[in-house]
Formats: sequence, C-alpha cells, structure tokens
Amino acid sequence: MDIGRNSQGFTLLVGLLFAFLLAPVLFVFPISFSNDPFLAFPPQSWGFKYFAALPRNAVLMSAFRTSLALAATVTALSLALAVPAAYALVRLDFRGRDWLMSLFTAPLLLPSIVLGLAILLVFVRVDLLATYPGLVIAHLVVTLPYALRVIATALGTLPPAIEDAAATLGAPPFTVFRRVTLPMMMPGIVAASALSFLVSFDEVVISLFIVGPKLSTFPVEMFRYVETRTDPLIAAASVILIVATIGIVLVLERSIGVARALGKASQP
Amino acid sequence: MMTSLIDRDMPTIAPAHDPRPDHLVLEGLEKRYDKVVAVAALDLAVRQGEFIALLGPSGCGKTTTLRMTAGLVPASAGRIVIGGRDVTHLPPYRRDIGLVFQNYALFPHMTVAENVAFGLEMRKVPKADIGKRVAEALALVRLAQYGERRPRELSGGQQQRVALARALVIRPSILLLDEPLSNLDAKLREEMRTEIREIQRRLGITTLFVTHDQVEALSMCDRIAVMQAGELVQLGTPFEIYERPRRAFIADFVGRSNKLDGIVREAGVIEVGPLTLRATETPARGTEVRISVRPHRIHIHPHPGSARPHARTNLLVGRVVRTTYVGDVFQYDVDVGPGVMQVEKPTAAGPQPISRGDEVELEWSVVDTLVFEDRP
Repeated sequence: MDIGRNSQGFTLLVGLLFAFLLAPVLFVFPISFSNDPFLAFPPQSWGFKYFAALPRNAVLMSAFRTSLALAATVTALSLALAVPAAYALVRLDFRGRDWLMSLFTAPLLLPSIVLGLAILLVFVRVDLLATYPGLVIAHLVVTLPYALRVIATALGTLPPAIEDAAATLGAPPFTVFRRVTLPMMMPGIVAASALSFLVSFDEVVISLFIVGPKLSTFPVEMFRYVETRTDPLIAAASVILIVATIGIVLVLERSIGVARALGKASQP
Repeated sequence: MMTSLIDRDMPTIAPAHDPRPDHLVLEGLEKRYDKVVAVAALDLAVRQGEFIALLGPSGCGKTTTLRMTAGLVPASAGRIVIGGRDVTHLPPYRRDIGLVFQNYALFPHMTVAENVAFGLEMRKVPKADIGKRVAEALALVRLAQYGERRPRELSGGQQQRVALARALVIRPSILLLDEPLSNLDAKLREEMRTEIREIQRRLGITTLFVTHDQVEALSMCDRIAVMQAGELVQLGTPFEIYERPRRAFIADFVGRSNKLDGIVREAGVIEVGPLTLRATETPARGTEVRISVRPHRIHIHPHPGSARPHARTNLLVGRVVRTTYVGDVFQYDVDVGPGVMQVEKPTAAGPQPISRGDEVELEWSVVDTLVFEDRP
C-alpha cells in the first residue's frame, strides 16, 4: 500500500474517491439554506427559514430528545457489557472461546431488516414494542458487536507482558485491570463509545419496526417527514447532524487520534 | 610457546564450596502441555546473593522455568521455595519477586517515576517514602533526571534501566531477568552487562538470569545452568562449563568447537579415521565418541615438521582450504583428512604468513581434547 503513496496519480485517485463519497452529503448544505417551500437545486431563494422552523416542530424535537437519551443509554450499556466480555474473550483461555466471539459479532453480518423483523416478532409477545427498554435492547443488538470488536482489538494489541509486570510488582488481578489494562485500553473504549453512540443515533431500519406513535426516534421521524412533505426542513436537520458528527470526530482526533482509536496498534 | 603447551595441566576445578545458604530452590519442577514436556523434573538451588544463568537455545524450557518461578505459569509438578517459603501455589503478586522482561514491559500511560512507584504503592508504602525510594532507585540506574519522562521518550537501554529500577525498588527477595539485553544493540548490551552485574553485586540480590547468549552467561554469572530440551544438563561455574562441558551439545553451544568423530582404541587414545589423537580422559575401549577442540586452543605451524611429537600434545598435518580475516583474529579452515578443523590466531601487523593451499601443522594440548559420548 505504500507504493506511490505520494505520487500525483495516487493523490488524484484519493481525491476522486472522497468526492464520490462526499458529494451527496455536500449537496445537502446549499439546500438547507433554501427558503423555498419544496426541495430543489439550486434553491430559488436563500435564507435560514428552515433552521428557524426546526425547533418549532414538536414531533421532530421530541424524537431528537428520545434519540439522544437512547444513544447515551445504549452507549453506556454497550461499554458495560463489552469491556468485561472482551476481557474474557481475549485474556481468558477457555473452551469455545472462538465460537463465542463469532456468536457475539454475528449480528454485524445479518441484514438489519431481518434483525428488525425478528425483534418485532419477539417484542410483540413480551410487550416491549414501542417502549423505551425495547428500543434500548434492540439497539444493543446492533451496537454491542461493534463495541466488542473494537475493544477486543484494542485489548488484543496490548502486550500481556505489561500486565504480567504489574502482577509481579504486587498487583492483584482486579488492580492490574484497573490501573494498567483499562487505561491502556482507553483509546479503544473511546472509539467504541463513539461508534455505539453514532450507530444507535443513526439506526433506522430496526427502529422502524418497533417505534410507536408515542415513542419514536429522530431518524425514523426524519424518514416519515420526507415521505409526506417535500420542504427543505430535513436538509437543515441533516446539516446540523453532519456538523455535530464532525465536531465529535474532531474532538476525538484532538484527544486520542482517530486512527489510534479505531484500533491501530499503539506501541508501548 | 611449546613449553607453555606441554606444561599446561588439567584445569583445576575448585570444589564448589560456598557457605551461603540456598535461597531459591526448585525441586522436581515440571511443566507439561498435554503430551509435550517443556520442563522435566528440574532441580536447582540458587544460593543467597548468587547470580545464576539459565542458558540454552530457544525452546529449551529456560523461559518457562523463569515464568514458573515468577508464578506467571503454573507448575505441573514440583516445588518452588523462595527464602524458605513454599510459593509453588502462590499467585505472582504474593511471591515478592522482581522481574525484568525482554521487551521492558513498562506502563506506557505512566511516567518513569510512576512506573517505578507502582510496586511500592501496591505494598502500601507511605507516600513520603515512595518519593525517596523512587529517587534512589532511579539514581541507582543513572536515570535520576528522567522521572517525569514517559517511557516512549527514552531509548531502549534507558527503558530497560527503568524496568530494572522498577523491579529492584520493591527490594524483592529474588530478581528474575528474562533475556533483558536481547533487544539492545551490541555496544549497549556490553555496557548493560557490566551495569547489571555491578548492581546485582552491590545489592547482593539472588538472581536468576535467562539468556541464550553464552557470552552474557559466561561474563556475568557466578554459575551457569545449561538447559537442553527441558532438562538441566550441566550446572557449574563459567570456567567449568567452558573448559569441561559434560556433553558435546554444551561444548558446541557455549563457545565454538571443532568436531571429529572417532572410536576409543585404548585408554587415552582415540582413532579418528587414519589419525590417532590423545585425550586425558576416555570412556571404555571401543566406545564411539565425539572429539571437540576449541579453535583458539590450536596452534598452527606454517612449516610441517617444525613441531616435535610429544606425549602431551596432538599433532596433525593438514592443508589450508580457507582463510578469513576477522580483524582481531585470522580463521584458518584446515583439511586434516577426516574433517576440516577451524583454527584461530590473533592477527598481527605485517605480511600474512599462511595462505590458502599451504601445508601446515596443527598442535594442541591433550588437555584441550574434549571427549563426549553424545553426538548431537
């Protein structure tokens, strides 16, 4: 991969790839500053009309608050489950370890439409449809594999000798974990948090199956909005989301570095 | 030169009398992985303040022995006693040991001072004392000014000295060193050899040192335990290991040696093809043996016939097939018939007296003819 990394051809190729990936997203920006009553490009009139209208839309605002709280809860629970699970899967040696790891990360491979349907069928019976705990559980099914993967990778790249060193210096196992393993896993944990939060906040397909009239998430409401209306309100909402996401990534990059956070081995 | 050769006697080996009590005792220590035996019934007693090397090629079980001693790997059988206390079933954090790893294993998220302080914190040493002892330990490894640095800001040698300070600051009952010099470059390794030896002597700490490097083992340690395929094959002083190796494997592994295979014809006489060689000690007549001679113990005479045959030397005629200039020595490969022997001679300024194709005479003392019954 290093071959020609600095050549002009390579730069051009990367530029084109970025343009291909980002072009649709960039399109949203001019449209969000439209004052037209319909989605059109280029806009006939410019302004902040729809940014101003956003806070007045009770349905979207309520869904936004639900999604924020949901993503926060799901992230906290993902970490609480993924950290001990990853530790057990990476550090302990037991029969069926590889099999368990595959099982835990299998949902990553399933189409979410299938997962959504399956969850719907189960939730109907146990009365979890359109409830907050139901949404939390459904989202955990998707975020947990991500969190587990990232944290297990972070843990796997830590040389066990460092933990051995702590043990020989007199630290009992839990102290080793708290004082040595956990701080060294921090980049992985931060990355897992960011991923869990974004995946949960962004989740549409599964949520569509289980939300109800009284409890809905932001992406679902955005989806419903564009089904029935054609004004640029959603473009304004999208721009706010994009800027917020870039903000999170920048903070991550500044504090620990995204490359490191996503599991590139950090040398001791 | 001739007189010195003839007058040399069997190296006298003083009986290993050491009044110090045993401090680390491994008794019938064993490690099995399913059917594979990594360490087989190992017995070793390290005296108080003694510095012992576990020497052997990779896979000989030396690291496993060290890790069992540290408690990082459970022993399959046997006992480990440190200072009279049976620690066989204790976890590492209750064994009171200092361990220095090959790759340093410093805590990357802590400063140098925090790394060194870690073991003291675990022992609930009062804060004020921690600061003092950390400073002492860093001064001991000549890193007094580096307390606030992060490990990654230090060179490999400095990191290894931090690791040493971290292991020593807790004043452990024993010090374990797992190939601590292997990741350093040659020059630094030599410095660290002296430094570790000095510190070990000054503190008088009982030390077990795992290495595959014979020079390290010979130059640093009081005694060497040579391991082969999970077994301890010889325990002795560096002098004993080098001069009187008990197996051909050891002669070959520790230092370099020329090998010739032969049969004992009578006591002290071995037949190697058409040649007849003398040795001081030989097994029973008719035994197939391997003979080993150190390259630098062989004298090379440029003109055959100049050396007189003598009962206390071996004399062979051969032809030089290769000469190699290594700076401080010349290596000559000499074909003597049943094999090629390598001879080493210190270089001197001036013209080169021996060249390829020359007929030469090799001579060495019978004392330097090592005879083994194993042929690895």
